[in-house]
This record gives sequence, structure tokens and C-alpha cells, in this order.
Amino acid sequence: MRAVENALGITIPENARIIRNLISGIQYVQDHVIHFYHLHALDWVDVTGALKADPAKTAALAQTISDWPNSSPTYFKAVQGKVKALVESGQLGIFSNGYWGHPAYKLPPEANLMAVAHYLEALEWQKDVIRMQAYLGAKNPHPQTFLVGGMSMPVDPNSQNAINAGSLQFMLDLAKKAHDFVAKVYIPDLLAVASFYKEWASIGGGVPNYLSYGEFQLDTKSNTTNCWLPAGFIRNRDLSKVEPVDHKKVTEDVAHAWYKYSDDDNKAKHPWEGESTPNYTGPKPPYEFLETSKKYSWVKAIRYDGLSTEVGPLSRMLVAYASGHKRVKEVVDMVLGKLGVGPAALFSTLGRTAARGIETLVTAEMLPIWINELAANMKKGDLKIHNGEKWEPSTWPQEAKGYGFHEAPRGSLCHWVVIKDKKVANYQCVVPGGWNSAPRDAKGQRGPFEESLIGTPVADPKKPIEILRTIHSFDPCMACAIHIVDKEGNELIKVRAK
Amino acid sequence: MAKIAIDPVTRIEGHLRIEVEIDGGKVKDAWASGTMWRGLELIVKNRDPREVWAILSRI
Repeated sequence: MRAVENALGITIPENARIIRNLISGIQYVQDHVIHFYHLHALDWVDVTGALKADPAKTAALAQTISDWPNSSPTYFKAVQGKVKALVESGQLGIFSNGYWGHPAYKLPPEANLMAVAHYLEALEWQKDVIRMQAYLGAKNPHPQTFLVGGMSMPVDPNSQNAINAGSLQFMLDLAKKAHDFVAKVYIPDLLAVASFYKEWASIGGGVPNYLSYGEFQLDTKSNTTNCWLPAGFIRNRDLSKVEPVDHKKVTEDVAHAWYKYSDDDNKAKHPWEGESTPNYTGPKPPYEFLETSKKYSWVKAIRYDGLSTEVGPLSRMLVAYASGHKRVKEVVDMVLGKLGVGPAALFSTLGRTAARGIETLVTAEMLPIWINELAANMKKGDLKIHNGEKWEPSTWPQEAKGYGFHEAPRGSLCHWVVIKDKKVANYQCVVPGGWNSAPRDAKGQRGPFEESLIGTPVADPKKPIEILRTIHSFDPCMACAIHIVDKEGNELIKVRAK
Repeated sequence: MAKIAIDPVTRIEGHLRIEVEIDGGKVKDAWASGTMWRGLELIVKNRDPREVWAILSRI
């Protein structure tokens, strides 16, 4: 969208800019909460440990850290009853395939029970609050209301068939619900859980370079650097300096990726010159191990200024913190203070997980502000939602190139497009998962996932929960099939894990 | 020294495999592999630029 608008020189109307910010904003909040509770928390929280908890003591703990109303002994006893019924049935359902009882779990039973209760509450909460995106985007996921040049839905405070005064109130109610849960449940839980795992503030740091393209645009200039969360590049963990972002510094090589460049696979190509011709040279499945000295991934080695670079909430919070973003700095300092650690603790698995929570809180705080911004703009009589000046291909140049910056919940996302004769001649997407899961490049530099695992302790190679903690802290998900082999490559055991 | 493969660790835009070498209770080396080809860049080639967002936002 932004890449094509950039190529064709299209400026979107103010209402479209604000609505795009709102769609992204609620997506950050919902995605991050789901990630914390449903994709990451069980790396730290032992569900079966919750059975040993005293509901009265759990209530006391919950009331100490938050005034969230669901905190009575009766409430926690009921949650414990649900978990007990699951365990006794032998069918753990959503809690199956965990490494329950693993010695790396450190929480007391009461903290386990509190977190499990909030896991279940978050499931209910997320289906409600994402209605804001469904409302503005016509559906979730994959909103349908985008349009090159703006958005496709009408805005009019006096029409029944448009985003109107009623819609604004509906969204304000959802925004309050979103913020309440984050402020009163997610953040207190994050701090409570993190306080038992402080050693993870020095594990899992990985590559020392962090990128943010900037998001939540504050003006309608294409790829504006005027964003609520600033753009920037931090080199070698130096928080005293934030470099401006230049899209021309993004390159990809395919030395270790299953693609073939028309000239040289080791060449670091900018996406406008990018190629995606598949060239699988790996072993025929099923196989034991990949030949990692050769090509071994479908992900290209994405680099910024030649450097392996992390993207995501941690990068955005570091860039904002180092840029002097007032609210981000306050919340980061509050979290560091409560955990009794310094800013260096951010460069870690725990830092990544904490940064996601910090970003959720500050973003949730902005939702009502942006809704009111939309209301104020409509009130001024500006009902424009789409700029159609360059809709017709006859208005386009013979050839055009563009790029579109976006910060998705999981990190920096940019599309590069080359348009020739009214058609797409080349298109390259460089996505957050690609940055973080990138393989080695032609120079042999490891990608962020790879580097973050070096030195990670693994108490039991049959149950590598420590590896999952770090990989999950970047926000991937799903079940893993784990194969353990001895040094000769013979398979010893095969387990499934979540 | 033990070598472990975790496969798949999937994410929204594809599947992920992690291989690690463990020595003395710590990870000594690691490799991340995307195990699914995306190919959307090739799908949108020669299409109308006004419609590619709807296809590419499915990543």
C-alpha cells in the first residue's frame, strides 16, 4: 500500500492516516497480549504448579500488585478447579505438551495460579477489543477497507452508513477496556513474573543492532519520519546515538538461502534490484540435519548497513528511549526501577519480553487520543477519506519506484515496488520474521535468532525450554517437534513440545 | 556434544526450524532455517499495482 503510494506520489487524507494508526494501534495491543499470555507465558509459568496454590494466598498476592477486580479467593479457587479437572481428565487441552515440572520453572504456586487465571481472562478480553479493528477494517485478520490513496469506508458524523458519532463512542469504550487490562493485569503480571527470572536479563541478547522504521505517522507525507514511535538505527548497543534510517542500506544476500541470483549469490542486493528465484539445494525430507555450511533456509540474509539487525518491540522501545521519547522513557525507567536493573538489562530475552509489555501500555494509552483526533477532524467538516487523483493508470509515469515503511507488531516491514508500463515489474517484501530469523550471510555473520541462542544454558537437552524462552521472546509461535541426537547423528529421542 | 533440531517453530509468514549444538550445558552454535517458500513476490509480478496490497497483506 505505502510502497505503491510512494511510487506514484500519492498523499492520503488526514482521516485515512488516523484510521490506519487506529487499526495498527489496536493490533499492537491485542497481538502483544496474546503473545505474552498465550504464546510465551507458559515458558515461565508452570500450569500444573498452580494446583499447589492456596487460593486465599493467591488472592492476597493479586491484591498486592493490582486493583483488578477479579481477585477474590473464590475466583482463584474456581480457576484452580478448572485446571484440576483438566489435569485429572488426562486431556490437558490448551495446556498439553508443556514441560511441566521442569526445574527451570521458578514461580511460587500462587504466582502460577494467578498467571493461569489471567491466561484465561486474556482469551475473553482479546476477542472483544479486536472488534475495533474488525469495525474499521471490515474483518480481522486481513482488513478489507484499505485502498491505494486512503481508505474505502465513509466518515460522516451524521450518517448511519459511515464511521459516525456512535462508532467513535463504541471505539472509545473498547479502547478503555483494552487499556484497563493492560495497565491492571498485563503489566503487573509481567513485573511479578520477571522478578523471579532476573538471570534472563543477561541471557539471549544476540546481535547488538536495532532498527525501527517509525510508526503511527503524524503527518501524511509518504514514509514520513514524523512518527509517534520514532524511526532510527542503534549500532552496537550505543544508546547515546540514534542514526537516521536510510532504506538504501537494507540489503539481502542468498549465500545461505535457497535462492539463485542471476549474477552472484554472495552479492548484497537492495530490494529494488532484488530477486526471489527459488533454488532448493537442501536434503530430501525427511532428513536429520541441514547442511548448514551451504544453503539452509528460505529466509534471505537481510542486513542493515551490512549488519545483522534485530527488529520488533525491543528495537522500537530502544530507539524511542534513546531518542528521548518522554512516555516511553518514563515507562522503561519505571520497569527497570521495579526490577532493580539498569538499561543494559534490556539487551536480553527478558528485555525483549518487557519491551513488548511497555510498548503495549504506551500504545493503549494513545488509542483514545487518536479516536478523539479523528472525531475532531470530522467535526471540522473534513470528511475526506480517499485521494483519487492518481487512481487512473493514465495519470501514472511510464516507470516508478517506491518503498513503504511500516512497523508491524512483530517489527520492521518494508515493501519495495518497481512499476513499469502500469504493471508491477518487481516487488520485494522484507518482513519482521525475515530480519530476526535470517540465516548467516556471505560474510558468515549469524542472524538475530542464531546469535541470541549462543551461550544459553540448557539444563536438559530433551526438554530445551531455555531455547524456546529466547526464540519465543522474539514472538514466533506454534508447536515444535524436537529431535535429539547424539554426536554421531543417531536419533536418541523424539518429543513434541509447545 | 549434542545437536538438537526444533522443527517446526512456525510463525505467521512461514515455518521455522532451529538447530543447535549444545556443549557443557550451553548452546555453542545455532542455525535458524525458514522451511517454507513464500513466493508472493512472484505472484504479484505483472499485476495491477492497485490490487497487490490485498494479496500481500496475507503474509
